[in-house]
Amino acid sequence: MTSSTLGRPARSDLTFRQKVSRFDYAFSPFLYVAPFFILFAAIGVFPIVYTMNVSLYDWHLLKGQGDFVGLENYVSVLSDPFFWNAFGNTVSIFLLSAIPQLVIATGIAALLDQAIRGKTFWRMSILLPYIVAPVAVTVIFLQIFNQYRGPIAGLLELFGLDPIRWAFDVLPSHIAIASMVNWRWTGYNALLLLAAMQAVPRDVYESAAIDGANKLRRFWSITIPMIRPTLIFVVITATIGGLQIFTEPKLFDSRTNGGGDRQFQTIVLYLYELAFPRRDFGQASATAWILFLIIVLVGLISFAITRAIRTADVKPARSSAAPVGAQQGES
Amino acid sequence: MISSRNRIAASIAGVATLALITTGCSSGGSGGDDEKITLSITTFGTMGVDANYEKYMEENPNITIEATNLEGGGAARDDAYAKIAAGTGLSDVVAIEEGWLGTIFEVSDSFVDLRDYGIEDVKDTWLEWKYDQGTGPDGKVIGAGLDIGPQGLCYRGDLFEAAGLPSERSEVAAYFGGEDATWDRFFEVGKEYVDASGKAFWHSPRFFWNSFVNQQEEGYYKKDGETLNIEDNAALKAHHAKIVEAELAGLGAGLPGWEVGPEAKAGDFAVYMCPSWMLGIVQGYYDEGTTDSGWDFADVLPGGAANWGGAFLGVSESSEHKEEAAKLALWLAAPEQQAAAFEVAGPFPSTLEGQELVADSTNAFFNDAPVGEIFAARAEGVIAQVKGPEDSNIQDNVFGPIFDRVSQGEITDADTAWEEAMTLLDQLVG
Repeated sequence: MTSSTLGRPARSDLTFRQKVSRFDYAFSPFLYVAPFFILFAAIGVFPIVYTMNVSLYDWHLLKGQGDFVGLENYVSVLSDPFFWNAFGNTVSIFLLSAIPQLVIATGIAALLDQAIRGKTFWRMSILLPYIVAPVAVTVIFLQIFNQYRGPIAGLLELFGLDPIRWAFDVLPSHIAIASMVNWRWTGYNALLLLAAMQAVPRDVYESAAIDGANKLRRFWSITIPMIRPTLIFVVITATIGGLQIFTEPKLFDSRTNGGGDRQFQTIVLYLYELAFPRRDFGQASATAWILFLIIVLVGLISFAITRAIRTADVKPARSSAAPVGAQQGES
Repeated sequence: MISSRNRIAASIAGVATLALITTGCSSGGSGGDDEKITLSITTFGTMGVDANYEKYMEENPNITIEATNLEGGGAARDDAYAKIAAGTGLSDVVAIEEGWLGTIFEVSDSFVDLRDYGIEDVKDTWLEWKYDQGTGPDGKVIGAGLDIGPQGLCYRGDLFEAAGLPSERSEVAAYFGGEDATWDRFFEVGKEYVDASGKAFWHSPRFFWNSFVNQQEEGYYKKDGETLNIEDNAALKAHHAKIVEAELAGLGAGLPGWEVGPEAKAGDFAVYMCPSWMLGIVQGYYDEGTTDSGWDFADVLPGGAANWGGAFLGVSESSEHKEEAAKLALWLAAPEQQAAAFEVAGPFPSTLEGQELVADSTNAFFNDAPVGEIFAARAEGVIAQVKGPEDSNIQDNVFGPIFDRVSQGEITDADTAWEEAMTLLDQLVG
């Protein structure tokens, strides 16, 4: 009480205009950021909390809330072989897409970072796949990966090889789906990495060149460590996206939820099957939470791996200007 | 043309919304005849109902129909479930498939009782069993019957001929055994075709299995619709073994059940199981107006007549114009409109009068087959089986994948196939 009266002795002396100005200074920033947080609370936090609530009940999609069952839904999901099948498929598709995607995207970005003719044209071109709706991408790829009549089947036949059963066999179906993901996202990631590469100060390269570092060495010891923050961002978004993959496997065989025999049923498709055809909203919500935790975990692992890039690559380059750049990158 | 029509539709919708806002609460239940109303309807697959919308809007100038057609029954089911669960978003009129009607009865509050809108006055137009199917356990009538699924055999006359089999449709029917056609004979003819042509007979065993299951007095469930009827069902097990063995003997093309257009065009298989609504699907594999595809339609079904599928129209409880929506649903399910839908897409009328209207109907795609007459014959004595809550799940996720494994050579004997199916059944339903 006393402190507050002591703290603001001049308050009553302020004019209205000053009061408004003071209020503006103190609260306006909150108003400016409020739309995001209100939206985030409505479509981010609330669903997450609500899903948690649903996952603790025996909850029929149509009939609604039933008895409180605690963690029973989690137990039944985790002991369901179909969940682990979906888990394996998701990890497999994720690895098949994330790794080539990042490698190729970094390569493309490095190429575009060189002095080439028609820069804008090339940059726009690699972003083109990203603009096409995933549904359209899937429809086109479905034709390419048609077991009997697709162009790939034609090529294989030309060489006298057996047709690949894209929609029936586990690994081929994963490769087909991963290639759709890669086609869509590689260019996008390449652009992000390119932007980061262009922010690397050119004089660092110059001094490294003077010190006798060749192009490859400069790429590994300067470019990669210095684009690390962007790399981390790309890896984490790729992880989140990759583990939530849905559209491509769903449409790869749209009558099923990930293949007639669940050859390419991902966790989200498993969740979808639980929620809709099987109408078990409780278990579906539990799956959503398990997926959330998996993503957090895998995200942390990717983060750790990308952080390790610095410790592995920057140390030997200490004598050059790299540490300065790395610090810049972090700030 | 289309864009101007859209614009007109949009302005009508806009006016309708305005009208709603202005007249809103005061008009209460059914408004005056000149009140502008937009009714939404969701259908799936090739039901042919859309052929009637224009006519209805002409006859009722105050009504605008806003139609959505989903790809298949599964998509329509998921869509309806999601909207029921959300408690909002159902169209005014919703098409419901026989396979998941049972689930809808469990939450019958989401749909109106059509008895309140006069369905009982026209009850007698429907086949009795079809009307009963649309009636829930509590006596509430949720679905106005559209089509039924009597089955005949779609076959490739040109390929049959090339393989030295009869190709004329009555001869084909007779060759399979006519009225006494059996599944054994069907497999025999299949083998004959495969030996003569070097090609597969069917695309996937799935549909032929479904047909057989539908022929049984009790299918995956006992008549109570609750007790499973699979594991100790000797008839099912024996037929399963036969169909697996036929597949292993090379009758199958190893294709998925649906979306086999390119393979159909290439002549990779020669028969397709055709409940009435399947005609539109086979036709959809080809360009519009095709008449030289080689497909024909024979009045025969191995193992005797049976119903497979069929749809209903329900009116959602959340509709703002229940009266008008029910009027539209009942109109679309009336004999003349069923007949019109049959003419464009093939689903066979579930009303006797509708069936009479299409008795002389032929289908140009299927080599001018007298489809009206054939389906009337195939529908004789057909009574739909009682479906349980997991019926479509069992069909798609228990037996379906097993047939795929057999097609792909992963299972090579009938006993293993059945055992693996029972394992899946346990995991999914048990």
